[in-house]
Amino acid sequence: MASSSYFSLSVLFVAALGFGLAPLGLAWLWARVYSPPKPNAIKNAIYECGLESKGDAWMGFRSAYYLYGIIFLIFDVEAVFLLPFAVAFTGLGAAACAAMLVFVLLLVEGLAWAWAKGVLTWQ
Amino acid sequence: MKTVEEIKAAIEAAVPGAGVEFVPNPSPSAQHSLRLAPESAVAVAKFLRDDDELAFDFLSNLTGVDWPDKEIAEKVKVTRQVTKTVDGPEGKVDQTVDETVEETHKRVEPGYLEAVYHLYSVEKKHGPLVIRMRTANRTDQAQLPSLTPVWRAAEFQEREIFDLYGIVFTGHPDLRRILMWDEFKDHPMRKDYVEPDDFEYEPTPHDEVLNRAQEHKSEGLGTGD
Amino acid sequence: MAVDQNLKIELGKQGIFVTTIEELYNWGRRSSVWPMQFGLACCAIEMIATTMARYDLARFGAEVFRPSPRQADLMIVSGTVTKKMAPQVVRLYNQMAEPRYVIAMGACAISGGPFKQGYNVLKGIDRYIPVDVHIPGCPPRPEALIQAFMTLQKKIDGQPLTGEGRPRHLDAEAQGEFAVPEQGEHDLEPTSNKGVWPVPITIR
Repeated sequence: MASSSYFSLSVLFVAALGFGLAPLGLAWLWARVYSPPKPNAIKNAIYECGLESKGDAWMGFRSAYYLYGIIFLIFDVEAVFLLPFAVAFTGLGAAACAAMLVFVLLLVEGLAWAWAKGVLTWQ
Repeated sequence: MKTVEEIKAAIEAAVPGAGVEFVPNPSPSAQHSLRLAPESAVAVAKFLRDDDELAFDFLSNLTGVDWPDKEIAEKVKVTRQVTKTVDGPEGKVDQTVDETVEETHKRVEPGYLEAVYHLYSVEKKHGPLVIRMRTANRTDQAQLPSLTPVWRAAEFQEREIFDLYGIVFTGHPDLRRILMWDEFKDHPMRKDYVEPDDFEYEPTPHDEVLNRAQEHKSEGLGTGD
Repeated sequence: MAVDQNLKIELGKQGIFVTTIEELYNWGRRSSVWPMQFGLACCAIEMIATTMARYDLARFGAEVFRPSPRQADLMIVSGTVTKKMAPQVVRLYNQMAEPRYVIAMGACAISGGPFKQGYNVLKGIDRYIPVDVHIPGCPPRPEALIQAFMTLQKKIDGQPLTGEGRPRHLDAEAQGEFAVPEQGEHDLEPTSNKGVWPVPITIR
């Protein structure tokens, strides 16, 4: 078994696991032995700005919020594509430019559709 | 800018029955003011803001004043007829004599609360014009019309006056306490406000603090000692 | 068992480091006291200056100002505590995880300062929560805050793990919750927390 090429890997794996878990275990042990937990209603409150918490943290968000989020994310990711394109712009031909325009137009089309559907109007 | 008297005349010409009163300021600054009648105050304020020549478009400051009940002692000379026994040549004779006596009359002038507004014109570059309003008394009729519909800047400061002096501004869009908490009942800037007895008495107080400490001790009040 | 100091130094010269769990624990705690990011008045400006390059609180392991009370060890009450703000401050202190410490910074935080005889200012935050270090001054200079910080570090360093005088978070019996005052009709109710602040006895 010791000759297996996976042996050294498994030793490293166990060591890595121990490296992560040992401090957690020690901290848990320390808390058990030395510092007693003293929870109370104020300490466990969900809101941490000094004001009294009202209501529950587990509340539903409106679906319109997620649509907003998705549309934002699309244009956020688009910038990631546009940046390298802009950096290499001088070395690119007309075909690359057209491809990028098509890409942007496709996204804008989606935005226009969402706009027409009234997604951007917050009720 | 027109003088305060001229402004008063202009108001009276524009708003019939305005009931504006001139309040002189005898100090060297001579910053005279106008006292508006609460009933016509909003109309007068609109005129001051919208008039082409005055154009007071900026309310810079507004504050409250508490005038507590005043006890005024007046000395009056009273002449009365007094019967006196005078030693005359015919022996003791009762005589009626006029005698002048100084008597002190005390009368209580009821107090009131006052709101003072300082107006400027940014457009015409003049000001300030000081206008005042007085409540009927300090207790149950402490209402004044709100000037927030005329100058939006009045909103927070009227709330502050409501909080600290207890003037209720009718027509204010959002009259809540602004500095003290909502459950608070007193109006701390009034002259008859009594502070809560939560003073931390030093082991060796002196002067005013000593008086308060003795009062605190005699009333048996305090923070648990 | 305490290590003999001379022996420890001698061993150190030979390249052997000797310590105790208590020393190691306290060293770890005092070297990473994270303050809460929270300022109340003008003293907060001095607190900010203390963390900046010239005074550099990072030298003491305290550069990480946490915006959440759950992650903070130290509450620097920097400035005037108004009666309207006091319940919030006490609630934040309650939300901090143990071990937690409080530095009352400036005249207002320790006694009400120039507003002591006013109607709206709390006459010292030590009426409601236990304060470890008081700093006088209006406002105290950054050096004073650093001094207070070093005093707190010394205090942490001297705390034993067990037995008498151990810190609150190692004591199962010690108080964990400090009552949040209510805003009453005329004043905060109660005007001080029992057991936290002894009412001074007036001598005449």
